[in-house]
Amino acid sequence: MSGSVERSADRRAQERPAWPPALVEVMGGTAVADEKGTSLWRGAVQRLRRNPSAIVGAVIVLAFVVVAAAAPLLAPYEPASTEWIAMVTPSDVPGPFPGHPLGLDPFGSDLLTQLLYGARQSLLIGVVSTSLGLLVGAALGGLAGAFGGWVDTLVMRVVDILLSIPSLLLAVSVAAVLGRNPLAIMIAIAAAQVPIFARLLRGSMLSQRGQDYVLAASSLGLRRRTVVMSHVLPNSLGPVIVQATLTLATSIIEVAALSYLGLGAPNPAVAEWGRMLVKGQERLQSDPHLTLLPGVCIAITALGFTLFGEALREALDPKSRR
Amino acid sequence: MAEHPGPVEGPLLAVEDLSVTFQHRGGPPTRAVDGVSFTVDPGEVVGIVGESGSGKSVTSMAVMGLLPARTSRVTGSARFDDRDLLRMPDAERSRLRGKEIAMVFQDPMSSLNPVLTVGLQITEVLQRHQQVGRAEAREQAVELLHRVGIPDPRRRVGEYPHQLSGGMRQRALIAVALACRPRLLICDEPTTALDVTIQAQVLELLRELVADLGTAMIMITHDLGVVAGLCDRVNVMYAGRVVESAGRRDLFAAPRHRYTEGLLASIPRLDAPRGEGLTPIPGTPRDTVGWDRACAFAPRCRHASDGCVRPDLALEPMAPRSGEVEHLVRCVHPAPVGAPEHLEGAR
Amino acid sequence: MSGTDGTGAGTSGREDVLLEVEDLRVHFPIRRGIVFDRTIGHVRAVDGVSLRIARGTTYGLVGESGCGKSTLGRALLRLNEPTSGRIVLDGTDVRALGREPLRRFRRRMQMVFQDPLSSLDPRQSVQSLLTEPLRVHGLDEADRGRLGGNGERAHVERAAELLEVVGLPRSALARYPHEFSGGQRQRIGIARAMVLNPELVVADEPVSALDVSVQAQVINLLEELQELLGLTYLVIAHDLAVVRHISDTIGVMYLGVIVEEAPSDALYEQPLHPYTLALMSAIPVPDPAVEDARERILLAGDLPSPANPPAGCRFHTRCPFAQERLCADTVPELREVAPGRRVACHWAEEIRDGRITAHRVDPDATVTADVRPGTSGPSGTDLDPLAVP
Repeated sequence: MSGSVERSADRRAQERPAWPPALVEVMGGTAVADEKGTSLWRGAVQRLRRNPSAIVGAVIVLAFVVVAAAAPLLAPYEPASTEWIAMVTPSDVPGPFPGHPLGLDPFGSDLLTQLLYGARQSLLIGVVSTSLGLLVGAALGGLAGAFGGWVDTLVMRVVDILLSIPSLLLAVSVAAVLGRNPLAIMIAIAAAQVPIFARLLRGSMLSQRGQDYVLAASSLGLRRRTVVMSHVLPNSLGPVIVQATLTLATSIIEVAALSYLGLGAPNPAVAEWGRMLVKGQERLQSDPHLTLLPGVCIAITALGFTLFGEALREALDPKSRR
Repeated sequence: MAEHPGPVEGPLLAVEDLSVTFQHRGGPPTRAVDGVSFTVDPGEVVGIVGESGSGKSVTSMAVMGLLPARTSRVTGSARFDDRDLLRMPDAERSRLRGKEIAMVFQDPMSSLNPVLTVGLQITEVLQRHQQVGRAEAREQAVELLHRVGIPDPRRRVGEYPHQLSGGMRQRALIAVALACRPRLLICDEPTTALDVTIQAQVLELLRELVADLGTAMIMITHDLGVVAGLCDRVNVMYAGRVVESAGRRDLFAAPRHRYTEGLLASIPRLDAPRGEGLTPIPGTPRDTVGWDRACAFAPRCRHASDGCVRPDLALEPMAPRSGEVEHLVRCVHPAPVGAPEHLEGAR
Repeated sequence: MSGTDGTGAGTSGREDVLLEVEDLRVHFPIRRGIVFDRTIGHVRAVDGVSLRIARGTTYGLVGESGCGKSTLGRALLRLNEPTSGRIVLDGTDVRALGREPLRRFRRRMQMVFQDPLSSLDPRQSVQSLLTEPLRVHGLDEADRGRLGGNGERAHVERAAELLEVVGLPRSALARYPHEFSGGQRQRIGIARAMVLNPELVVADEPVSALDVSVQAQVINLLEELQELLGLTYLVIAHDLAVVRHISDTIGVMYLGVIVEEAPSDALYEQPLHPYTLALMSAIPVPDPAVEDARERILLAGDLPSPANPPAGCRFHTRCPFAQERLCADTVPELREVAPGRRVACHWAEEIRDGRITAHRVDPDATVTADVRPGTSGPSGTDLDPLAVP
């Protein structure tokens, strides 16, 4: 065969016209470079880097993560230290004064310290609950998408039932059953996300399964397991990852909402933006910044994740490929 | 094909130096159409042939004012009855659209509104452009559906697009386009989504309508076969420019541009003896160079020379002039008149 | 002349038959239901097809969308599970293979798809696309000896070799499908189908998604590869001109059955089935002289639903030659009318000899057939849709 390969290559060389010198010169810039190819992921990263809103989102998210991780280093004081409680009166919470750039909170702690540690709590609960929801949801959706048939029907009916319960109500009931501890909150929030991820992954896998490359894979004699695991699944993950980024924003808001409803972490000493919002609300008239600051923190963080998630969706969109 | 109705007093549509540049976010501007000029006489059928990316569809969209203003820039002129379509206020242009110029698209499913009955979509056009009552419009709609060969039009008029087959939908779309007896019909790949036997039905219908109603038509297609049976004059586009323009018979009997010649030699013909090799055009449409530097087809051309690298390659008349239509070619090394490559095999 | 051997394919049984298909049927259930799906009918996508393909030749399957040609192609490779019938490839009963034997058997029959972009996994590099089948099946013994072993390195060598055969540079290995043009992608798809050294290749509309100027390159490549590797092709296409160019034998399909089968040139020179006549006359020819002179046999209406095909001859509702006798109630068998020529029409000889002429078809739900005068000549040649009078 190698002999005929040469022959065929020879013929092909004749087939392409030899470019006249002047044409070679003007075509110089468009010659195919022998560089490494651009995979979908690398292409997506390149598109992300060109998208301003992706950069803004990424900066916010990064800042949030850094603050959360390095809270002990950044915070001027110990969290929940109430040593300035004497300065708080029923009618007045001290605003900024030297040593306390944002002033105190209603319990006599440093407000900046509390906000920084609050980021930590939000990130922890947000990431853990979203991961949990993603894991269980993707497992269910993956099962349905991979096997189809009665497995699909069964799984999707269960998911439909979960979906028919309002997510906050679901979270409230889980929290009520499991009691007030951080794990309960995480499970509560995750439970509300499971149906979203399950449906998304299943739908995505079903549409990928209809693609010709899946048919091609089976016509090449690949094992069913290989077809699903190394072709269908990786191609179906894009929308799920985007959704996870967007869901992180929602879970941060939801953590706050649960705390606001009094279902938050039981230990009042643990700083948490949602609870700070509630406590600040009592002094909304006299000291609006107590409500405003945690509110702004929640909003900006959620915005960061949303911006990044939307940009990611755009970058992964097959239509944006050239 | 169609007889020219009486003495012609100048073209119905004269497109002059039309250019379209797209500017998408984060990318360099791309010139999809680059100085295209052509004319359509009353009752004449003009073909625009090209591959995907040649700018043939963008040309028609620009003429109709259907390109998004935010991402595209259109220059040049398109005079319809001495009114420039490109500089016309939107309101005036949309009065013209549907009434005097109508368009038929490739995909009849997405060009018909799925939630309205076929009849309503025809009467809508009629009521907008002509002073007719609802009952009369409906009568006309039934008549139109009958005219385009839809059986049982009285029943079909109340049906929704999804209840019709693909060929039927395309007929309905033609009925919508013909509702106000436009003077110019622009067909953008009207049969590409259809099966060959259905394509034959639709092409026959268009042929009849043009002959009966005297409507001028622009037929945009990638299929040289469709053009061969339908058009009076053909413009071949490559990379945004017209590279050859000729009467139908001249073009097929003696293609002069190397691209046209190559295209005709590369498509398998039903009537060519089996075993006859095809001569493909090398490379892909991506192997191109800007018209501002050289002939865009040169990288794929077997006859390219240093002379092809020039920025001012013009569309020039070829001598001798054989037909009633001028034969224009944008090529440094036009093919000689004689036995063209694609016919050598067939004969 | 009018042999009535219904199922046998051709007379020359001595030829080296690679693929033999007998009475193949693929029916898809139509399911409806709110809680439990009930089967309320079947789409008879392929409804009793028999054919033989000799080794090293090309069989072209032509027909319009919905005629079942793609389903048939996929069923032959068991990518669709056939409902009944026999598929024998080189003595092996493909339908009898269990899951694992079938998976191993797949290296002998491969497929080239219509849309090269959707048939290549967008996340795989070309190298991964081309070596994946080798990781599953391993190299041929011959290739193993030639390329030195069966490891990753040998696989990559084989991949690079095939790229060269299909006319792409080695550097393409590191690239991804979306970085290529349509024609180049199809070359990659073809290289992948060839990497396992198959014997039978089913090509489903291999050029219809490509630019006109690129189609000829891919057609030529397929022909070259056939010569180079001794392949047997089943080419499925809607374009009779492409099929005629590439095939030795052509089968014309209509509503799930083959209505006519003939050597490529014979089919063109003298189509016998009315549907073939109509199909040929419908294909535009890029030559005004031919276009202006040809007689068109326009078919009435649209394809009937394959869930509920017409009784008798499936084509009789649209056939301009339909007769009162037989057509509406008796299913015509695919019978041999000349060596290598099979046709499923009760009146094929009469139509050929001009004893039956075309008439208008005016059934209620269809468009009137426009058969131009002149189709009623005394000899068969007058029916030649491309004849220049």
